[in-house]
Amino acid sequence: MSRARFRTPQSAAASLLVPLALIAITVMVGADGTPSLQGTVTLILCNLIVVIGLQVFVGNSGVYSFGQLGFATAGAYIAAFLTLPAAFALLQTPGLPDFIVEAHLDPLLSTLIAAAFSGLLAIVIGLPLMRTSTLAIPISTFAFLIVIYNVVANWDRVTGGSSGLVSIPTTTSVGSAGLWAGAAVIAALAFKWSTSGYRLRATREDEVAARSIGIGVMRERLIAFGISGALCGIGGALAVHQSGVLNPTTFYFGATVTTMTMLVVGGARSVLGAVVGTIAIALVNELLRGFEDGASLLGAISIGEAPGLAAIGLGLILLATMIAMPNGLSGGREAGELPWLHRLGFSAPAPPPEPGDAAESGRAALDRTPQGALRAEGISLAFAGLQVLKDVDLVLEPGQALGLIGPNGAGKTTLVNVLSGFQAADSGTVSLDGVDVSGRSPARLARDGLGRTFQAALPFPELSGLESVAVGAMGMGASRRGAVAIAVDVLDRLNLLEQATQPAGSLPPGSQRLLGIARALAIRPRYLLLDEPAAGLNEAECDRLVEILRGVLTDFGCGILLIEHDMSIVMPLCSRVQVLDDGRTLRLGTPDEVQADRAVVESYLGSSFLESVDA
Amino acid sequence: MTELGQNLIDALALGSLYALIALGITLVYTVMGMMNFAHGEFIMLAAYALFAFAGLPFAVAVVAALLSGIAIALLAERVAFRPVRNADLSAQLVTSLAVAAILQNIVTVAVDARAQSVETPASLSESTSIGSISVPNLEFLTLGLTALVLAGLGWLLYRTRTGLAMRAAAENFEMARLLGVRANRVIAIAFAISGALAAAVGVLLVMQTGQVSPTMGLTPVLVGFVAVVIGGFGRMFGAVVGGLLLGALSSLLGVYLPEGLVPFRDAIVFTFPVLILIFRPHGLLGGEIGTARV
Repeated sequence: MSRARFRTPQSAAASLLVPLALIAITVMVGADGTPSLQGTVTLILCNLIVVIGLQVFVGNSGVYSFGQLGFATAGAYIAAFLTLPAAFALLQTPGLPDFIVEAHLDPLLSTLIAAAFSGLLAIVIGLPLMRTSTLAIPISTFAFLIVIYNVVANWDRVTGGSSGLVSIPTTTSVGSAGLWAGAAVIAALAFKWSTSGYRLRATREDEVAARSIGIGVMRERLIAFGISGALCGIGGALAVHQSGVLNPTTFYFGATVTTMTMLVVGGARSVLGAVVGTIAIALVNELLRGFEDGASLLGAISIGEAPGLAAIGLGLILLATMIAMPNGLSGGREAGELPWLHRLGFSAPAPPPEPGDAAESGRAALDRTPQGALRAEGISLAFAGLQVLKDVDLVLEPGQALGLIGPNGAGKTTLVNVLSGFQAADSGTVSLDGVDVSGRSPARLARDGLGRTFQAALPFPELSGLESVAVGAMGMGASRRGAVAIAVDVLDRLNLLEQATQPAGSLPPGSQRLLGIARALAIRPRYLLLDEPAAGLNEAECDRLVEILRGVLTDFGCGILLIEHDMSIVMPLCSRVQVLDDGRTLRLGTPDEVQADRAVVESYLGSSFLESVDA
Repeated sequence: MTELGQNLIDALALGSLYALIALGITLVYTVMGMMNFAHGEFIMLAAYALFAFAGLPFAVAVVAALLSGIAIALLAERVAFRPVRNADLSAQLVTSLAVAAILQNIVTVAVDARAQSVETPASLSESTSIGSISVPNLEFLTLGLTALVLAGLGWLLYRTRTGLAMRAAAENFEMARLLGVRANRVIAIAFAISGALAAAVGVLLVMQTGQVSPTMGLTPVLVGFVAVVIGGFGRMFGAVVGGLLLGALSSLLGVYLPEGLVPFRDAIVFTFPVLILIFRPHGLLGGEIGTARV
């Protein structure tokens, strides 16, 4: 029996082998060349490792960092300290502790230590920085770059100050740089395809939706930031062992622009993009440089630096890419995802999964016996003086559907936001199965068993349907295989298997909406909050939705809170209906009782309607 | 006491300069949602205009610098930023980085990578005594200019139709557009003012240091960015507070740091926002960005 998977083995192999082949070709070009060509090719490969490091963070998180070259600086200086012969070290870095001055490690060991140091530094720096917003991270990482530069340029007795270090052993060859670059490609793809990589990419696609399925945005970003820092450190360490000299500007603003250009031109979202972009820009760079000087300067360049005309050219290329081709040369795809490779028969898209693909583990995992209830007591909330919720109570029991209705602006969505942790209440408590959970983050509440959807579908556009749903299970800590099994099971119940391999962003609105429900179900919620799930659905889709929700009630046994205007959906599903009006609970009862209630009809349809009925 | 007063005035003057930078960046951010990396290059180019027109009377050169700042800001908006107006925050940021790199290197090629010195009127380097405190005239100029700019911006934003349109656009761009606010015009005006502010900063920097260099915009733009982050994105008042804080910190550290640590002043100054972000992830006066949409 075929097992459901995110991609076929051929596609995965193509994604891995194409970038490795590109690196192999680059190595072969350099290996037999003149010493200066060898040096250039080696530096391009070192550059590539830094760009792959950048890709791991920027590509998967969608958040730009202008500080990754700071980790290359850190790695380069550490590697230089550890390999400088003692005689040179005493002259240049007398401020270092004796054991480092005397250390004269072999290049491999120094590179590994540099990687560990840079990775650790990234974790330490990332701890505060990753707490901030998507826009504050580029700025604070840029500040970090300047801090590193300032320290390195002024700590004369340790770093040699602005004049830098010389006589560092030149041990990096074309071959060793190529091997490291290959390893970096493998590491970057392994991360991208890991559960952590999927969770991070979900935050890139939609941060709010990712939090609603239990994904801790800061944690996932921090992991990638650390891996990225380590890779950049390796690139820096290898580069310094190629050129033999190092100064504070080696990996500074110029190199930041160059590596960013390489990544963006290639397409930040894929490892293939990092490789293609680096090679393409390196070629353009050499051409521009040749044009500028009339003669080749190949022997004398340092990594990433491109003075004058060449830098203007790179800037123009970056600008043109951002305007005309924001997904870059690779279109943000890995090699195995390229349509023309599929057409040539080298790889194939994954077939839609079959119902049988859900292993027993997928279904067994859904058995989470609920105890207690989701309970809100005395919830009050005001926005800038406007009282939106006034002392609202709500009880949602497992296996039951509670309808939450009321006119626009009654506070329904705000109440759901309070219950799911997206909005803090001014007063009142929320408890889950008897435990007070007020103040917990949305991600934590999702892991505690609270699923929700939003008024908008909030899809993960670039992930397939299968991936979008599986990542919900991954947010709960499921393995990749377990997550696939759960996703296939949920998608099967919602009749979505046929569309499961297409990108979620390309699906019709109705399917996107159902996919949102499937994604929330994949976290195996004990309580599910649905915010107008029928909005924008046609009549046939509405009927299907009712069937699906009925199945969810019986099969999953979870409690459903249903915000809905359409009584034809509320009536058949909900055993109780709570009416909110102007932030207060107006009525709580069976659907029939509520529909017969004069005050409810008045708030919904206006008193003039009642008068016309009475008359 | 005298020394303290002296240091405080120095701190206030540097803080005002930083506030001017942060205001220029915030103005564009509020109407377009873009953090403009190239703002530093607007500052740099205006300073080079001063260098280019050095032969003319100083006042004429200053006007030329002001016009250059406005012109380059409008040009960058039209050519580079308008096409990415609807792209996400990060894409806009990278676009402005590209513009910064292009402008910086054009000056490197056209003039020189090294710093060039510029003559400034001697009266600016003199000081005026107030009691026992002697205040450099340049600091008076900086403080006066900042006060003037704040008053002018306040008047523009809250007393004119254009200002109303800009505030509406800042509040809800699409809605403002539907209600008849002309987007291109509002954004162009914001860039023009931002360019003028950049030019003012460029001129003040030249007066302070007596020189220009292609990379002179890098630190100011970072200072502006950090001030904006500290103050909370998109708030004029926050930008001013952030700028004042950062400038005061930098200035006072220069005086009170132990001698061995003085070279690391910038490192300490730029670590400061990180400390603030640990406790207030969205800045001192900040609302939430990118997390509120539910």
